[in-house]
Amino acid sequence: MAIRIQRVPSENLGGGVAARLIAILLALLVAAVIFSLNGADLGALGAHVLKSTFGSRFGLMDIGLIMTPLILTGLAVMIAMKVGAWNIGAEGQFCAGAFAATAVALFVPGPTVVIVPLMFVAGALGGMVWILIPTLARAYADVSELITTLLLNFVGVLLIYYVATGPWLDPSGMSFAATKRLPYDIPSFWGDVHWGLPIAVLLTVLVAAVLNYTRWGYEVRIAGSNPSAARYAAIPFRRHLIVVMLLSGAIAGLAGMFEAVGTAHRLQGGISNNFGYIGIMVAVLARGSAIGVLAGALLMAVILKSGIALQTQGVNISTVLALTGLILFFTAIGDELSHYRIVRSKPA
Amino acid sequence: MDLIAGLIQTSILAGGVLALAALGEVLAERVGIVNLGVEGLIALGAITGIATVVAIPSPTLGFVLALLVGLLVGMVFATATVIVRANQILCGLALTLMGTGVAAMIGKAYSGIPAPATFPPVAIPFLSDLPLVGRALFTQNVLVYLIYLVLPFAIHHLLFRTRHGLDLRAVGENPAAADAAGIPVRRIRFWYVSAGAALAAGAGAYLTLAFVPSWSEGVVAGRGWIAVALVIFAGYRPWTAVGAALLFGLITSLGFVGQARNWPIAAPVLSMLPYLGTIALMIVPVLAWQKVRRLMAAPAALGQPYFRDVR
Repeated sequence: MAIRIQRVPSENLGGGVAARLIAILLALLVAAVIFSLNGADLGALGAHVLKSTFGSRFGLMDIGLIMTPLILTGLAVMIAMKVGAWNIGAEGQFCAGAFAATAVALFVPGPTVVIVPLMFVAGALGGMVWILIPTLARAYADVSELITTLLLNFVGVLLIYYVATGPWLDPSGMSFAATKRLPYDIPSFWGDVHWGLPIAVLLTVLVAAVLNYTRWGYEVRIAGSNPSAARYAAIPFRRHLIVVMLLSGAIAGLAGMFEAVGTAHRLQGGISNNFGYIGIMVAVLARGSAIGVLAGALLMAVILKSGIALQTQGVNISTVLALTGLILFFTAIGDELSHYRIVRSKPA
Repeated sequence: MDLIAGLIQTSILAGGVLALAALGEVLAERVGIVNLGVEGLIALGAITGIATVVAIPSPTLGFVLALLVGLLVGMVFATATVIVRANQILCGLALTLMGTGVAAMIGKAYSGIPAPATFPPVAIPFLSDLPLVGRALFTQNVLVYLIYLVLPFAIHHLLFRTRHGLDLRAVGENPAAADAAGIPVRRIRFWYVSAGAALAAGAGAYLTLAFVPSWSEGVVAGRGWIAVALVIFAGYRPWTAVGAALLFGLITSLGFVGQARNWPIAAPVLSMLPYLGTIALMIVPVLAWQKVRRLMAAPAALGQPYFRDVR
């Protein structure tokens, strides 16, 4: 009997989930070690985190509010991955969606029942426009969509900053980088938590159902996992790529719409708050599943909320970004390691 | 005339960050590894540089320490991508997030402090007295000459004029064949990825010790990603990468000139120029010259982990 380690092409579900859990625990452990080296009282920090997240009604509400954009940006990145594209530009599409929805709220007069759906459409269209050029460049010239979508993030953030400090600045002088309070709102169903959250959940389930149970979804998945096999089976790869990438941009744009209209109630500088980048993390944690997106968004919302809560304890909010990176790093390693299995074989 | 000379001088200075980071990325991608952590490495190098000169006012020490930090972080990245062979894109994004986050954490204490010691411009005798461009070209800090002349020459020579360069390009094009020919694929990938990361962090120290020169959150501002894009645009060639970086320095300095001269364009809009310019440069040449595509093609095994045992 010889024991050897063998690499298999597919990873097993258990291994993938275990890899994620271990990655998250390891990253938290590293963070804990760094905090305690800095002389922080871990017990007090932990108690504070628990109290400000699950321990109070307001904590839970905040988690619901933070989850909304994260579900959508995570979903956006996830569906692009399904067709084999890297949409690293959810941050920019988020900004474009917030921008377009705010434009409708500020400049289109009309009854609420008309304007709110119009803001939805505007948010989705804004995100779609933002990803249009990277999509076409990838589809027709094979230009890396990863880099073009990412570069547009900086343009999107600057665009928001420009309008929020310049032409759309609140005329009352209450702020120096925000518009006035928007005259429309997304209705709430629990405290501050608005209908964006259930809509985001519903959209995730819907998209997952279409991807998993329709012919179109099947073709998209084939096109993403093996483009040459897709071509052989006469699956129109380019068309699927374009449609899915535009859809991805639209979903990220919706995230921006909900954040600006439902949560912040105004367009302000820095509104995207790294939601787009953390969405990548959500999508990677999700391993392509809808429940995974929801779970990943919940986890990242808790981490983000903890980071905000710990600011009063002298912990820097950038810690969240570093921690996100650490989890992503360990997850990538764990994913690869879960391809290995130990086999016993009799010598031939 | 002063305008043009000033424009050239600022372009060279601004392009240096991109050139150094792009040269590092050329090394990594030539051996077949995409390092998308450049943005994070620049941030780490930037904060290392500024933290060093605040403690000990020696810019050279700051630059060297940044290179070392980059090398160490690069070795961690290379362990994940070359030894464990984890997904390069995810590891790169993770490195960007970690580097940006950690640098911002440390940087809180250094925010807004002007660097107490920087690389001063050095006038080269005679050449700097040339009319028009003399001052612009030959009154630069010492790193500029290193980045624009010494390094690209050395890397070009290494890649295309030495046996070892042939080996390392073979590793990027066809690791299985290179392996069969007895070239140590893993070792070469590991060390060139790490060296490339060191240069990226060096670009960060250049940013805070020679160009800006101070630390603030968001000081890197996507330069790492522009550098990655430049490498693709430059067809993975050192001299072309440096030239492209200079072009981007020009676009950046146009923004500065615009602000200084009160052009009727808002500052945030001018700041968009480098990003939009990069996207244009990534798309237009491919559309305009189909032939360029083959000439500028990426190393064939770029981004693919190499498993000797799996076929």
